[in-house]
Amino acid sequence: MELIFLPLILGIIAFFVPTKWVRPFGLLASLSILAVSIVHLMNFHATDYVMLFNPAEAFPLGLTFKMGYDGLGLVMVLLTNAVILLILLANYNRDIASNAKFTGLTLLMQFALLGLFTSLDGILFYTFWELALIPIFLILYWFGKQDNNRALFKFFLYTLLGSLMMLLSFIALGYFSPSYSYFQLVQANFAGKEVAAALIMGGILFAFSVKIPLFPFQTWQAPTYTNAPMAGTMLLSALMLKMALYGMIKWMIPIGFEGLVYLKWPVITLGGIGIVYGAIIAMKQKDLKTLFAYASISHLGLIAAGIMIFSLSAIEASMIQIINHSIVAIGLFLAAGIIEDRLQTRNIEDLGGIAKVAPHFGFWFAVVTFISVSVPFTAGFMGEFILIKELFTAHWVIGLTAATTLVFGAVYMLRAYQGSMFGPSKMTVFADLTWNEYAVFAILAIAAVGFGLYPQIIIDFIKPSIKFTQELMSGDLTLTK
Amino acid sequence: MDALIIIFVTGLIGLFVGMLKNSRLTLAVISVGLIAGFVSMYHINDYQSMFQSYQGLQFSRTQHMFALLAIALTLVSVLLGYTYFKEDEEHTSDYYGLMLFSLTGALCLIGFSNLFMFFLGLEILSIPIYVLVGIQKGNALASEASVKYFFTGSFATAIMLFGIALVYGSTGSFEMNEIQMAIDMGIMKSPMLNIGVLMMMAAFLFKVGAVPFHFWGPDVYQGSSNAVMAYMASVVKLAALFAFVHFFNFTFHSVTPFVSGIILFAIVVSLFLGYLSALKQTSFRRMMAYSSIANTGFALFAVLNQQYGEASLWIFMIGYACSTIALITINMIVEKETDDIANWKGIGYSNPFIGITLVISLLSMSGIPPFTGFFGKYLLLSSAFSNYLPVVILAIIASLIGAYLYIRLMVLSLSKDGEGHKLSINPTQTIVLTLSLVGILGGWLVLLIK
Repeated sequence: MELIFLPLILGIIAFFVPTKWVRPFGLLASLSILAVSIVHLMNFHATDYVMLFNPAEAFPLGLTFKMGYDGLGLVMVLLTNAVILLILLANYNRDIASNAKFTGLTLLMQFALLGLFTSLDGILFYTFWELALIPIFLILYWFGKQDNNRALFKFFLYTLLGSLMMLLSFIALGYFSPSYSYFQLVQANFAGKEVAAALIMGGILFAFSVKIPLFPFQTWQAPTYTNAPMAGTMLLSALMLKMALYGMIKWMIPIGFEGLVYLKWPVITLGGIGIVYGAIIAMKQKDLKTLFAYASISHLGLIAAGIMIFSLSAIEASMIQIINHSIVAIGLFLAAGIIEDRLQTRNIEDLGGIAKVAPHFGFWFAVVTFISVSVPFTAGFMGEFILIKELFTAHWVIGLTAATTLVFGAVYMLRAYQGSMFGPSKMTVFADLTWNEYAVFAILAIAAVGFGLYPQIIIDFIKPSIKFTQELMSGDLTLTK
Repeated sequence: MDALIIIFVTGLIGLFVGMLKNSRLTLAVISVGLIAGFVSMYHINDYQSMFQSYQGLQFSRTQHMFALLAIALTLVSVLLGYTYFKEDEEHTSDYYGLMLFSLTGALCLIGFSNLFMFFLGLEILSIPIYVLVGIQKGNALASEASVKYFFTGSFATAIMLFGIALVYGSTGSFEMNEIQMAIDMGIMKSPMLNIGVLMMMAAFLFKVGAVPFHFWGPDVYQGSSNAVMAYMASVVKLAALFAFVHFFNFTFHSVTPFVSGIILFAIVVSLFLGYLSALKQTSFRRMMAYSSIANTGFALFAVLNQQYGEASLWIFMIGYACSTIALITINMIVEKETDDIANWKGIGYSNPFIGITLVISLLSMSGIPPFTGFFGKYLLLSSAFSNYLPVVILAIIASLIGAYLYIRLMVLSLSKDGEGHKLSINPTQTIVLTLSLVGILGGWLVLLIK
């Protein structure tokens, strides 16, 4: 339990910490939360199903309040804690980090995310899903650009509409299952009611596709990212979106598996459109942050399409990509943030020659760029390779579409890097990296290369939990958990 | 029965204490009386009453819960009014006395088991409210509100009485059980009964403030003082809705399917008209009035839910009433000459306690978990889901509009522009805000006990 409630308590305390102490407090708090989750990791065996909270009987209305994690959940918990630490570290030398409100809200956000990744009850999942929206909304509102209310409302209402659709689906699920316990929801029998299953799944998918965002729902993303502060963008892209992808793997597909046939190809098609659409728009962007936002649509389209295949290796590759995307998102948005911080502009046309003035930054930005275009020996290479292979197996057209991401990705990323870092120098002064930025880039690079060389470490965690879920779905497993 | 008498006598004592012109003393007496009433209501089954029990007034388990909630909300409204009444010491005891008499009526309206007691409760509830609305004698808006509410309200009461007469005429009894039996046996399936039920329903829709009988709402809210507004939005609405649900879930339950179309219509129109009109308001009170119309739309789902209607209504009302009272308290703190919503700009950013209360109550109103407002809506919608799916979907769309309304207010009050603009809160307001926060955050935990 301390795993989930530690961020809540520290987050509330953070609001009352004097300004002078906020920075070290935030860093220490996130470090201690990470330490707690590492203790959990040490005691974990891949086939375990650790229950954090497991009341014996269901409460009225089928609420069970079960919480716990398997390998999949633990990977997401570790990812969350590590990413929050990196975000606080990356912002360490900025004004925002000394703001008690920001640190408090970030830790509250962490609480909501950890709750989401460990909830094993439908209504609890929905609760944490909504709860995560509030801190990020306030961060964007208080620390984002002024007069960005329009983009913010768009973001909030889109997400809320999605959430309400998910709520409808969960209400409907109540008629198919005796309680909202995850295990009973997965075993809910839709035999002969495939359309109902598809509709329920569609409602949940709606919520997820707004957050990912899938192709027709992406309009909130670019303005929100562009107006957000650097930390807000990182939280959104490195963590918020992962909620939806995790939800697809853990909740949506296992619950409504009977309806998957109806939704598989539509979602894969939308993912394919997203891959090409995001990449083409990204190629034309002048603002670095907007460019990375569209790049994100392209990457996530691939992951979403891969998840819908729902084979073991596709899920494993998707998880690798999820982790890789977090690494890339932090790195790229940090680079954009550094440029904006030093030069007050992110427009590629106004930039150039930074690498000459700030060679360290030039080097690390290049490393992140290479991670982003998935060169071999980085985590993205393994992930993308397997995903594209799986999509090819499903149908060659979608495989071919997905494969374009390799080409397009290289085009827009290298263009962004070249335009900003090389060419005639347009500025004389560019402060090089500070120690904390250095540390963040280094950790990201080590992680990316580490997972690229040895992706098995992630797969070992995920494989048993996917197998377990599949057995649960097929009903081979009678479970009293 | 004891609780009723304690509260009524406290009201009387309050009137005499008022002669001392000491508003703090009056508040103390009234609060003690209300707490005593609450305790005696809580232990209603644990001891032998010194009064003979009366058949017409009995508290079953749910009725008991509703009565407790009504007393607690009245206590909060009384505390809320203290700051305001302090400046008007001449009338302090009138306010408190009338509020307590009205609460007596609300308790009758919750515990009734025959039509006579029901009508008595309705009148005792309403008449003090007509006076309370217009008690600010110098205020033209208040007089307008009072007169408007009195005329329309007594017209509605007359229709209610007509309906009761027709129901009595067709079933031959005043007792709720006997009426139900007569209707269930189908002996009396006469048009007279149906007309009677329809008339009672119209009067109920007026009392709870649902479309198409909602026109009094905004004017009355605008004219009345904050405490009276809070009282009307919480206790009066709670009692009237309970009686409505009680009639249509038990006594008239075999007639309900015939009127469900009308109720569904009222739900949908209340939701949309309420929220859409609220979007256009610049005055906080009018906005709250329209938002209360919309929330009534949600609450009416309980009428169609035979199984869990009353329990869901209880949870829903605790969320709605606590949020509304919190918002009205904040309005009282920020209100200057007008109750313009622009006054709210930035108050939450510079006053953390107000900010937190405001964010939580607005989120609860928009139906975001884990606050009580969400669980209320969830219960109401999930039980209507299988039978009235299209209406549930419409309600979800409406609640999105509502969320926009509340989030807009939240964003306005969290704006950074208000930095350094400190507001002074006095202790009673702090207590009111804390109590409502407890209700919003913890009200749904009752679900786990039952």
